[in-house]
Amino acid sequence: MSVRGTRIPPHLQLPIAGVTPPPTEKEGQRLFPTGNFRFYRPVYRDKTPPCNNACPTGEQIQKYLDYVKHDRYLDGYLTIMQDNPMPSVTGRVCYHPCETACNRAAHDEPIGIRSVERFLGDYGLALPDDPVKAALPPLNGTTVAIVGSGPAGLACAYHLRRRGYSSVIFEALEKPGGMLRAGIPAWHLPEEILDAEITKLTRLGGIEIRCGIRAGQDISWEELRSYPATFLALGQDVGRRLPVEGIEARGVIGALEFLREAGLGRPVKVGRRVLVIGGGNTASDAARSAIRLGGGEAFIVSLESADELLIVPEDLAQARDEGVAFAPNTALVKVLSDGGHVTGAVVCNARLRKDAHGGVQPELIPGTEREVTCDTIMIAIGQVQQLEWLPGHLSDRGVITADQHGRVEGNVFVGGDVMRGPSMVVDALGDGKRAARDVDRVLTATELGSEPEVEVMPYEGLNAAYFRHAPRIEAPLAPAGERRRSQTVEVTLAYSREQAVAESDRCMSCGVCNGCDNCYIVCPDVSVMRDTRENGHYTIRTTYCKGCLVCVQECPTGCLEKVPEMDFDDPADVTRMETAFAPYDGAHAEQSAFTRQLIEETIAEYDAARTAPPGNGTTSAQPNGNPG
Amino acid sequence: MYHELTVWSRGIIMDKEARDVSSCIAAAARALGYYADNVSDYVDDPDRTNCLVRRYARFGDSPIVDRFVYENPHPDWVVLVEETIIKAVNFLRGTPDRGGVVVVNSVRDPDYLLKFLPGEMKAKIAKFVVVDAVGLAEQRERSPWMFVRNLSELAFDRMSTEGAEERLAIGMGIAAPLIGALTAATGELPLDAVADQVADRDAMLRGAAKYAVVDFTAAYGEPPGAADEQPGPADEQPGPADEAGSAPAAPAAHSTSAG
Repeated sequence: MSVRGTRIPPHLQLPIAGVTPPPTEKEGQRLFPTGNFRFYRPVYRDKTPPCNNACPTGEQIQKYLDYVKHDRYLDGYLTIMQDNPMPSVTGRVCYHPCETACNRAAHDEPIGIRSVERFLGDYGLALPDDPVKAALPPLNGTTVAIVGSGPAGLACAYHLRRRGYSSVIFEALEKPGGMLRAGIPAWHLPEEILDAEITKLTRLGGIEIRCGIRAGQDISWEELRSYPATFLALGQDVGRRLPVEGIEARGVIGALEFLREAGLGRPVKVGRRVLVIGGGNTASDAARSAIRLGGGEAFIVSLESADELLIVPEDLAQARDEGVAFAPNTALVKVLSDGGHVTGAVVCNARLRKDAHGGVQPELIPGTEREVTCDTIMIAIGQVQQLEWLPGHLSDRGVITADQHGRVEGNVFVGGDVMRGPSMVVDALGDGKRAARDVDRVLTATELGSEPEVEVMPYEGLNAAYFRHAPRIEAPLAPAGERRRSQTVEVTLAYSREQAVAESDRCMSCGVCNGCDNCYIVCPDVSVMRDTRENGHYTIRTTYCKGCLVCVQECPTGCLEKVPEMDFDDPADVTRMETAFAPYDGAHAEQSAFTRQLIEETIAEYDAARTAPPGNGTTSAQPNGNPG
Repeated sequence: MYHELTVWSRGIIMDKEARDVSSCIAAAARALGYYADNVSDYVDDPDRTNCLVRRYARFGDSPIVDRFVYENPHPDWVVLVEETIIKAVNFLRGTPDRGGVVVVNSVRDPDYLLKFLPGEMKAKIAKFVVVDAVGLAEQRERSPWMFVRNLSELAFDRMSTEGAEERLAIGMGIAAPLIGALTAATGELPLDAVADQVADRDAMLRGAAKYAVVDFTAAYGEPPGAADEQPGPADEQPGPADEAGSAPAAPAAHSTSAG
């Protein structure tokens, strides 16, 4: 009927019997609120990505990967620092439950999240000024006691500082870091990185680390309890003993003790033929360190079979590359010695038998005993903690007992290995974060509450067609021959900037809007509105959205979902149309009085224009008229 | 006696349901000897998925004069085949005050649906009837909708007629319980006579037996003069049914040629 720019007489701008202005006209849009087509409404609702859910610290991994993708490294670094105080550490040593959970594994290969985290962590350490410090609140004057300066203790201190509390950390060893220093070899986590991360925390102000103070010896339980709140994170640093004949010979050492001496820079000696007893990550670390120190051979003797080993897969592959030999399904029976020093061992075939309660018991197979020669034996069969200084009811077989909040009693909380047994660095970091939150809650008399339910986005919820297949960028490794020779050559190397960006670009942003603009582009009714391309800036114009759900179908991340329109129960949130095709309200096929009046007025206006003297008000109606 | 039925529905995906409701009511009225008319509307563009579409029926004991006007100016029976139409349109335009019977297909509570209606629309309702037509329809392991899909799928698939199988019988699926609830709540037409016109008689009777109703006339009383607003020339005699559907329009005061 008309196009924009054409002069439309008023009587045609309004609906007359059966004819309505098209939606290209202003009145037409008002008359056609196509939102009333809709019985499902698209709604932006972010879900929890599986990586975020799997991370014990709750790192917003999708968010920082998105920042890295857009070269916003500082924003990415600050995003990690909301949850994890030491990304340079976890970027090197974390066993990455996030990558295990990554939905991309169902697509092609999981994202190299740990390497991107390391990239951001090292970026943050290289900054001249700590951007976190500037945003901290002033101290509130309350000091919390923390036992242990391992990952749990440091994380708790950091998160308490973010909430305005100061803390004092009691560390038994002469240097802070706990297992990060005394359990993780320098070729995994270089000492200067650990030092830099700890310095970064102590420079925030309000975090004091007192080394050489052992709980139970130098500070008593009563003294610890006298603080407004206390967090026990003393870890487990006492290796379990193996009750076999000859174990007291020289040359039989605990793997944990060996790693601790090496980590603290004390002189340690190992032989050239080392047996490591145990099937976990400590055994792997000890064997690999022994090769580097002694320059000889190392054998991992485990009750577990080759596919039951508790060593993370990439460490296992690296250990094999470095020449570590494995003797699975084998048990140590007896240590042979000569002159008090180890000369060999008797081993036999064995296997792990699961009993009815789910526990495992070693089962030796008689008649398979054989002798092997060696000059060092390391025991890596688990660890405990000395807890005799605690009241007896608070500990049980080397761990401190606590309720589901990690609360021991009163304002005393516990976390890390001393609560959960040997576990990951990131578990300890998560415990520290939770403890800081809960300490804040008890000190402000808030209820501890339960963890909120989260909805984790499954791979099936994504629109996988939008993600082209791209191989994972594996973190580069130092050459195995070079690694074998030095305690300080880092095994896993860093991503370059380009690699970090490319790997972040593989993230599918499961369940979280990443501003891809797809909904904005595909909407056939121009009903998706946004100002900037960012999560939270998209809205649906419900007056015009027809509920066709193209946006929901085409949302790659699955953050858009359809919700039945009737579930929105606000009576004001209604797009109601007058019956557009029945503009008159009266007798059939008669113009309404209103329409008739409009037509008459228009005719009168037209007549008046024709009879008016020339040059009076008519020039403005001329197209391209130039009144000057 | 004269009633105008407007059935509101959504284009393509539940168009036939609306058509069945109006045609069954008109056919039943005609079989009972009333003058009756049924119009399948085309001006609403029913080929657009989800758009609002209407079907009209009117019947009475006098001839219907406005044969070429398909819109009901004063609908006193209104059926909403899909519940969100509650929010979508003023479906009570022209309805006499406290004179409308509204039947909604919904599983929700009538009060929840009513809260979306402004006061001026509520003032026109005599009875607000809610029937779970989807639940009462005979599903026979298939969708109760026109096409063999469920509503959620239909919402996603805008080409929903493609490859789908249309049901030819009149009064199947959710149309049947809607017809039942409408007939029972209005009480104007005998249930049996209407049921004779409906393909799924059992589902129609289930709808007649099971619906929720909010009776505004009981709560608020009849507004004065509401009964006088019933349209239809009163001086005409009830005529035979055989010619009512096809006879040319009698000239009348409200002729389609006017204007």
